[in-house]
Amino acid sequence: MRVAVLVKQVPATEDVRIDDATGTMIREGVEAELNPLDLHAVEEAVRLRERFGASEIVALSMGPPRAAKALRSALAMGCDRGVLLSDAKFAGSDTLATARTLASGLRREGAFDLVLSGERATDGETGQVGPAVGRILGMSPLAFVSAVESVGDGRIVVRRAVEGGHERVEAPLPAMLSVVKEINVPRLCTLGGRMRARRAEIPVVGAAELDISDDRLGLAGSPTRVVRVSYPHVVRKGRVLSAKDGLDAALDEILGVLESRGIARGGERA
Amino acid sequence: MSERFNRITPEILAELREAVGAGNVVAEDADALESYASDEAGIMYTSMPEAVVKVESTEHVSAVMRIATRHCVPVTPRGAGSGLAGAAVPLRGGIVLSMERMNRILEIDPVNRVAVVEPGVVTNDLCKAAAARGFLYAGYPMSTETSFIAGNVATNAGGGRVIRYGSTRRHILGLEVVLPSGSVLDLGGRIRKETWGYSLMHLVIGSEGTLGVVTRVTVNLEPLPGRTINLLAAFAELDSAVAAVAKVVRAGLPVVSCELLDRVSADMAASHANAPLPCQDSTDAYLLVQLEGDSEERLDDDCERAGTLCLDNGATEVFVAESRTESAAVWGLRQNITEAMRARDPYCSLSGDIVVPLSAVPEMVGEIRRAASERGIVVAILGHVADGNLHPTVFKPEGMTPEEWTDCAEAYYDDLTAAALRLGGAGSGEHGVGYVKMPIFLRSKSPEELEIMRGIKRAFDPMGILNPGKMPGEGPVL
Repeated sequence: MRVAVLVKQVPATEDVRIDDATGTMIREGVEAELNPLDLHAVEEAVRLRERFGASEIVALSMGPPRAAKALRSALAMGCDRGVLLSDAKFAGSDTLATARTLASGLRREGAFDLVLSGERATDGETGQVGPAVGRILGMSPLAFVSAVESVGDGRIVVRRAVEGGHERVEAPLPAMLSVVKEINVPRLCTLGGRMRARRAEIPVVGAAELDISDDRLGLAGSPTRVVRVSYPHVVRKGRVLSAKDGLDAALDEILGVLESRGIARGGERA
Repeated sequence: MSERFNRITPEILAELREAVGAGNVVAEDADALESYASDEAGIMYTSMPEAVVKVESTEHVSAVMRIATRHCVPVTPRGAGSGLAGAAVPLRGGIVLSMERMNRILEIDPVNRVAVVEPGVVTNDLCKAAAARGFLYAGYPMSTETSFIAGNVATNAGGGRVIRYGSTRRHILGLEVVLPSGSVLDLGGRIRKETWGYSLMHLVIGSEGTLGVVTRVTVNLEPLPGRTINLLAAFAELDSAVAAVAKVVRAGLPVVSCELLDRVSADMAASHANAPLPCQDSTDAYLLVQLEGDSEERLDDDCERAGTLCLDNGATEVFVAESRTESAAVWGLRQNITEAMRARDPYCSLSGDIVVPLSAVPEMVGEIRRAASERGIVVAILGHVADGNLHPTVFKPEGMTPEEWTDCAEAYYDDLTAAALRLGGAGSGEHGVGYVKMPIFLRSKSPEELEIMRGIKRAFDPMGILNPGKMPGEGPVL
């Protein structure tokens, strides 16, 4: 079994800032790290090897040259090889162009039985790229996977987190899984793993080495246009009630508010 | 209740309300007062205040102190109540002076590399504000997310970065202090050296609210390090973990922290967080080592050297936590460990805070384990091991009453303190004496040293109204 994991380097911040003029994220001056949700995909790939055996786990990323560091994090946790797709022509890719590029990068690495990704990246927050890669490569796209029950005989059985519960799905291999963070607790890498990853060669693959024409790459190949950026306005207004005139008075006031909005009905109060 | 002091009368309450505003005075409300009756030393150490005054300014503090002096009412200053020695417990009732509403960061001065803050600023809020301006406030008590800066000053708090940056004393450049008379002292300032008479500021630091009330703090800021990286080393033998510490520390590596968690602490922390630690079954002790540096390449080299030293000295495996998520997870285990212990046993005693020279740590650990096993009690050992500062925590056995347990735990810590002193150490590295450790403190100091301390106390507080029953003491009261 061959397994690939798609990973992305994201800004290491909770304070994401957007350039109002371009509608893109400001990445300058912000430390970068492996997308925290991708850690679960890497962890699951390593666990799948431990459970079902795998001849190779390849980590693949698209990004600027410094994104090699995200691949090294994946190698430190147990992936065997890292491949970075990096080219100025990839700049400005939306989720569709990104998925095409990643799918082409995967095709270049040969056939995979399973491709894993995190549920979404903490910067773009779309969750579209993983499943899109699955569709492009004709794999069974399984999104929001919360457990892998079995892999074998050309089939996979997973649990998916859906609204209100879980769904058990059996699908033919090859399959593309985007995993939710509940699936596992990612391991810390060992010092030995980190030392190997630090010294590993990470090949960089450019546009010329992929089987996609330039007009389907980067900004040119991205139908998505950011028309306007706006911020949500919080219009909720809180009110603090004091119990200094007694708890009953405060409770009456709360009930009054609920009744006035039709949330509670007036009646006998205990 | 000592007859030396007066109870708070309705007239005194009226004066307090007049001075600071009625909304800042709590009295006659047992539920509200109870929150100020103890600190993190635990539910065994409780004494109710008669009133809580929530001051908003230095003028408020002066006014309250004048009223207290005039009526001879005891005053116990209080920060966040995160102390572990009972220093904030109002032993003789009276007024608890709460700093919770004096919580403004007044200034971050990049030229002089200082921050000026009010006493009730939460340590971590100061750290975040400094970091936003490219500075490090280097104090890092494990209670950083709750403790107030003036509480750090009062206990000369240590914590996780002492090996590189020193205890709170090293970070304090200036203090504004209100005396019991209501007068205000302005000590130190935005300067890093001063040979200009006795340093009253350094007397106030670590005085646990017995000499004056800190109303403004000027702290030193360091340049913010570019990067940090954490190693979690698992050892099958605690002794080899301790031996490895000495090697790592003297290798000239930029070690910021070096925390020890023994098997019992690690099990409790992991089970509380519902996140098993790697190699937990085969590990007797973990070392959590943090390194810092500006160059990524250099820090990677240092990380490999430190990790290899651990592996060469008995570590069975070394793990690395680098990202925000991973760092927060490993440090979260350490920071939440007292919560984990309290969740397991609300009577657990967190008072252990002995400090010994690093070379004596293996012998001290032996004493800690031997004394616990003799008494048939469970002990968890954690600590800032590179400083020789250990926090043994003991748990109440089934069937022991809380009263018996308090006596048992105190006798245990007395034994450990005696051992620490014999090994060239001290009874507290960072929590302070409070009143939990008053008996052994008084026994361990020479009459000459105690007399000088009492002279200092009289000079600051002639009527003895500030935090009575604590240092340098006439002995414990409860």
